[in-house]
Amino acid sequence: MKEINPDYKNHSKIRLALSSKNLRELWIKIGFIVGVMIIWEVIARFGRVSSTLFPPISTIGIALWDNIITGEILEHLLYSLYLIFIGIGIGIVLTFILTVLYMIYKPFANILDIVISIMHPLPGIALLPIIMLIVGLGAKAIVIVIIQSVIWPVMVNSIAGFRSIPITQVELGRNIGMSELRLVCSVMIPNAFPHIFAGLKIAWSRSWRALIGAEMIFGATGLVGGLGWYIYKKRYFLEIPDVFAGLLVIVAIGIIVEEVVMKQIEKRTIVKWGVTV
Amino acid sequence: MKKSFVLLVIVAVFSMFIFGGCAGSSPESKKVVVAQQYGLGYAPIMVIQEKKLIEKYYEGAEVEWVQLGSGGAIREAMAAGTVDIGSMGVPPFLISWDKELGFRVISALCRMPLGLQTYHEEIETLGDITPDMKIALPSPGSIQHILLSMACEKQLGDPTALDDQIIAMTHPDGANALINKIEIDAHYTSPPYIFMELETEGIHQVLDAEEDCFEGPFTFLVTISTEKFKESNPELFTAVADALDEAIVWINENPDEASELLAEGMDMEKDEVYKQLTWTGVEFSKNPEGMLEFLDFMKESGYVAKTTDDVSELIWDNLDYKEAN
Repeated sequence: MKEINPDYKNHSKIRLALSSKNLRELWIKIGFIVGVMIIWEVIARFGRVSSTLFPPISTIGIALWDNIITGEILEHLLYSLYLIFIGIGIGIVLTFILTVLYMIYKPFANILDIVISIMHPLPGIALLPIIMLIVGLGAKAIVIVIIQSVIWPVMVNSIAGFRSIPITQVELGRNIGMSELRLVCSVMIPNAFPHIFAGLKIAWSRSWRALIGAEMIFGATGLVGGLGWYIYKKRYFLEIPDVFAGLLVIVAIGIIVEEVVMKQIEKRTIVKWGVTV
Repeated sequence: MKKSFVLLVIVAVFSMFIFGGCAGSSPESKKVVVAQQYGLGYAPIMVIQEKKLIEKYYEGAEVEWVQLGSGGAIREAMAAGTVDIGSMGVPPFLISWDKELGFRVISALCRMPLGLQTYHEEIETLGDITPDMKIALPSPGSIQHILLSMACEKQLGDPTALDDQIIAMTHPDGANALINKIEIDAHYTSPPYIFMELETEGIHQVLDAEEDCFEGPFTFLVTISTEKFKESNPELFTAVADALDEAIVWINENPDEASELLAEGMDMEKDEVYKQLTWTGVEFSKNPEGMLEFLDFMKESGYVAKTTDDVSELIWDNLDYKEAN
C-alpha cells in the first residue's frame, strides 16, 4: 500500500494544480462579466442615451425577477421548450429511420444524398413562408421548421459516424458470436455516437435559433406564444427591460443546455465508453 | 490580471463612444429629419414632401426624409434622436408618452373607418370566435389591437380575452391572407385594405371601430415631434406645424388634385385614390380627438401604467383638442 501512496499524492497534486488554474480562469471570466455589468449600469445611468431604450442592468434584473414571479416569462419559455422538444423528438426519430434506410438500400442512399445536399444548407426559417402556405401559421409550422433544422445535420453526422466504424471491431464482434442486434447496440452505435452527438449539438443550436427567429418574425405561434413572441410583444409596448430579460433567458437556456445537459450526456456516453471522433 | 484590466478599459472607452456620443440636431440647426410614410392616412405627410411645404415656411430648411420598416421602428428612431418627426396611431404614441420619451402631438392627421373582417359566415360577434382562430393585426399595442380590446371588454367582459389569438402581420400580408382564406381567420385593418376586403365576396365585417369599439369618432393617426426638436429650433417646429396645416386644408379643398399627387406615391390609379379619399368616414383634420379616452382605457386594461386628464401633456400648444362624442 505504501508504494502506491506517493503515486496517489502526485496524482492529487496534478489535480490541485489543474483546479487552481481553472479557478483563476473562472475568476477572470467572472471579473469580465461583473466589469461589463458595471460599465453597462454606468452608461445607462449617466450616458447620453435614453434609459428607456438602454435600461440599466439593475432595472433589467428587476424586470426579469418580476417576470419570473408572475410566471409570464416562464409560461413563454415552457411553450418554446415544448415546441423544441417535440421538434427535436420527431426529428431524431425521422433521422433514425432515414439513416437506417440509407445504410441498407443503396438506391435510397443515392437519392437521399441529393436531398441532403439541397436541404442541409437551407436555414429552416427561410422555408417558413412556404411552410406557412401549406400548414398555416402556428405551432405546426414552427415544429416543421425545427424538424428541418434537426434532421439534416444529425443525419449527415450519423452517416459519417457509421462509416467510420472500424471494420475489425465489427468482425471481432461477429467472431465472438454477437447477434446482429447486439452488434448494432454494443459496437456500431457507441462507435458512431461521437459523430451523432456532434450532429445533435448542431441540431440544438440551429433549432433554438430557428424557433426564436420564427416567433419574432411571424408573430404568435400557438396559444401562448414562445419567448420570441414575448420579446416581440414587449418591444411594441416599449417594455425594453422586459426585452432584455427575454434575451437573458435565451442566453441562460443556451448556456444550460450546452454546458450542463450536453456535457452530462457526453460524460455518460462518449467519455464513459472511451470513444472519440 | 493586468491584461484583463487593459481589456476592460478598452471596452469601457469604446462603449462611451458608442453610447455617449449620439448625434442630435444641434441648437438652431436648420435640419429636420422626417419619417417618410405611405398610405391613405399619411396623405398630408406625402403632400408635404411633394410640395416641399416645410421649405416654404422656413427658408433654407434642410428636410431629410427617412424610410423605416414599421411604426415601432419610427418610435425607436425618435427616442434615439435620429428622427425628429414621425406619424403613428394614437395608442403607440400613448405608450411612448407613458414611458416619458418626451414626444407630443404636433398635428392629428385623419379619422378613418377601421374594422375587423372575417370570411367565416358564422361569426357575428366576438363570442363566435373559437379559441383556435387567429386574428391578424399590425402589431401588439397598435390602434387595431387596442380597438379590438375595447370591443372584447364590451362583448366578452375582458379586454385581453383575445390577446393570445392575435398574430402580427403587415396590412398587405393580412389582407392577402384573409382574401385567400389562408393562415388567419379575421383581420383588423384600416384603409385601403379594409375597402379591398369588404369588396371581396364572402368577407363581412364583425366590428366597426367607431360603432362597436370606440363608440364615437376618434383620431386614427397623429404626427408627433420630439421635445428636443421643438426646443432646439422653435421656428422650424412652427414651419412643420404650418406645413401640416396647409397640407390638410389643401387635401380637403382639392381632393381631385390631391388624388393625382398621391396616386404616384401610393402606386394606385388616380380614380381609386379619389374614391378612397372621399369615402364616408375618411376625414383629414389637424385637431386630435378621443386621445384621452384611449389613454383611460389603456390604463384600465393595464396596457400603460398611467393616465392624465390634462390633454396639454399630450399635445403641443399649437393645437386645439376635440372632446370625443
